[in-house]
Amino acid sequence: MTMPGEHDPVRPAAGRLFLVSGLAALWCGALFGVVGSWQHVLPGVVDAVPFVKSRPLHVSLVVAWIFMGAVGGVYHYLPWITGRPLYSQRMAWWHLVIFLGTGLLVIVSYLMGRFGGREYWEFPPVLGIPIALGWILLVYNFFRTVQKRSGPWPAYLWMWAVGIVFFLLTFTEAHLYLFPGFSGNAVRDLTVQWKAYGALTGSWNMLVYGTSMVVMERMGGDRSVALSRTAFLLFALGFTNLLFGWAHHIYPVPAAPWLRILAYFVSMTEWIILARMIRQWRGTLNAGMEQRHSLTHLFLFASEVWVFLNLFLALLISIPAINLFTHGTHITVAHAMGSTIGINTTILFASVFHIGGAALTRPARTGFWIFNGSLLVFWLCLIGAGLVKGWLTVTTDMVFQSIMEEARPFITGFAISGMGLFIGLTLLAVHAGKALLGGGTGQVENH
Amino acid sequence: MAAFVLTARHRRTIFVSLVLLFIAQSAITYTTATSVKNERAMYNEAASRGAQLYRDLNCTACHQLYGLGGYMGPDLTNTMGTPGKGPAYAKAFILHGTQRMPALGVTPEQADDIVAFLQAVDATGTHPIRHIDLTPWGTYRSMHDDAR
Repeated sequence: MTMPGEHDPVRPAAGRLFLVSGLAALWCGALFGVVGSWQHVLPGVVDAVPFVKSRPLHVSLVVAWIFMGAVGGVYHYLPWITGRPLYSQRMAWWHLVIFLGTGLLVIVSYLMGRFGGREYWEFPPVLGIPIALGWILLVYNFFRTVQKRSGPWPAYLWMWAVGIVFFLLTFTEAHLYLFPGFSGNAVRDLTVQWKAYGALTGSWNMLVYGTSMVVMERMGGDRSVALSRTAFLLFALGFTNLLFGWAHHIYPVPAAPWLRILAYFVSMTEWIILARMIRQWRGTLNAGMEQRHSLTHLFLFASEVWVFLNLFLALLISIPAINLFTHGTHITVAHAMGSTIGINTTILFASVFHIGGAALTRPARTGFWIFNGSLLVFWLCLIGAGLVKGWLTVTTDMVFQSIMEEARPFITGFAISGMGLFIGLTLLAVHAGKALLGGGTGQVENH
Repeated sequence: MAAFVLTARHRRTIFVSLVLLFIAQSAITYTTATSVKNERAMYNEAASRGAQLYRDLNCTACHQLYGLGGYMGPDLTNTMGTPGKGPAYAKAFILHGTQRMPALGVTPEQADDIVAFLQAVDATGTHPIRHIDLTPWGTYRSMHDDAR
């Protein structure tokens, strides 16, 4: 008999299979990312999967990894947090089956050239229905499981609850364009679209940051941290940004100015988080050095570094006068990649390695350094390309192709480092997959 | 560290308040905050069909509107209003493609619809803004009283 959440090698829990499926999606998504990046450098390099297909395959598969990595963690950790089994394992299984089935249909629709043509969700909108239905199972399962938990909720439960509910709301909102009243002009169409997406990325960040807090609690054993005022302050800041910060994505879109000014003001509250990180930097560094022999700690430490770098970049490009030069350039991509790979993927790897009880082997250590080193070069190349594009677009009358020619060295560097990133991810994904499927006990590291 | 205790009633109240707040700001965003005064910016029938084609062909994978979209091709916000470009120029690209851009396989009528959509987009404003009039608060003047 297994304890709640413990690995049963005969009948693996749905949470673990969510994670394994997520790792497969990450690998495939990264592969299409490599293809897409080289299509920028050498047009027509992979004719079988043109850019109009490789881009959505890359984006959707990586977003699927983030969701599956976070949701798998929620299903896995909930029994430990609540002290009772998941309300319904069967429901979790159905969620997995629906998500994977829909994922396959999404891939087939892309390969057949059938698109919905919206950012993030480039698949035909009808496929959003099963995704939402599967998510409703998660909502029900989550709240029924935590319903009878005694005592105050730690901050991570709040983060998960908000992330789960707001994903459903914003995912629905992202499809409002199907009704003519929400897309009667380009300003409304773009604003509603990016309002939904801004909040949607906020909701998945809630799921991932909540996971990070759970892993830290389980590694350190201190339950008071997630109940502290600081934890709730960070949650409140994140949630306020989720609700009102989205308009920093659309400063150039001529919606009502107050929307953009409000977003600017709200975005600037995140300097509080950055200041706190700087104040605690020495402590974080020392802890990282002390715990460098644990794979989970190594990834948690790396995620702190990426949070710092990306938060600083995000704050800079949220200042409208700077955004004028960075919006619509590769700096936005650097921000997106830094967030989804540097922060989200790094935290989710920490969680996966913790759940799998993976040891810090030589391939894992090699993968860690290749992954982070390549990502740094990749990130810097995107910033370089963005600076060139932004400056030349705003200050000169050069045509698009000439501007991109100027940025070519950076784009080439980005494509080369992307291959390094793919190699690092492959090593890590294989190690994580083996740990999850091989019946890792979760006892290698402290609980 | 001091525990921050919330009862079940507090939790419910907070959740309901947050959802209400979300709904309220959404309602304003969907209506007054995104209305356009220029009639040409409203989608007519042809522009609506063009918007649908823009989605079906996944043009956003390569092109941007107001800087939002992929970076393989140029931003199309003001293609219709830029001197030297315009409807005939855009239609030629849509129908025949270029070395980098594939021919989209659409009919001339469908190409007209996409052009109508891009004309409606063009009428909403200008991107990128080149006239930079910075304020001490990190904003720029046209952000407060833009072309809208």
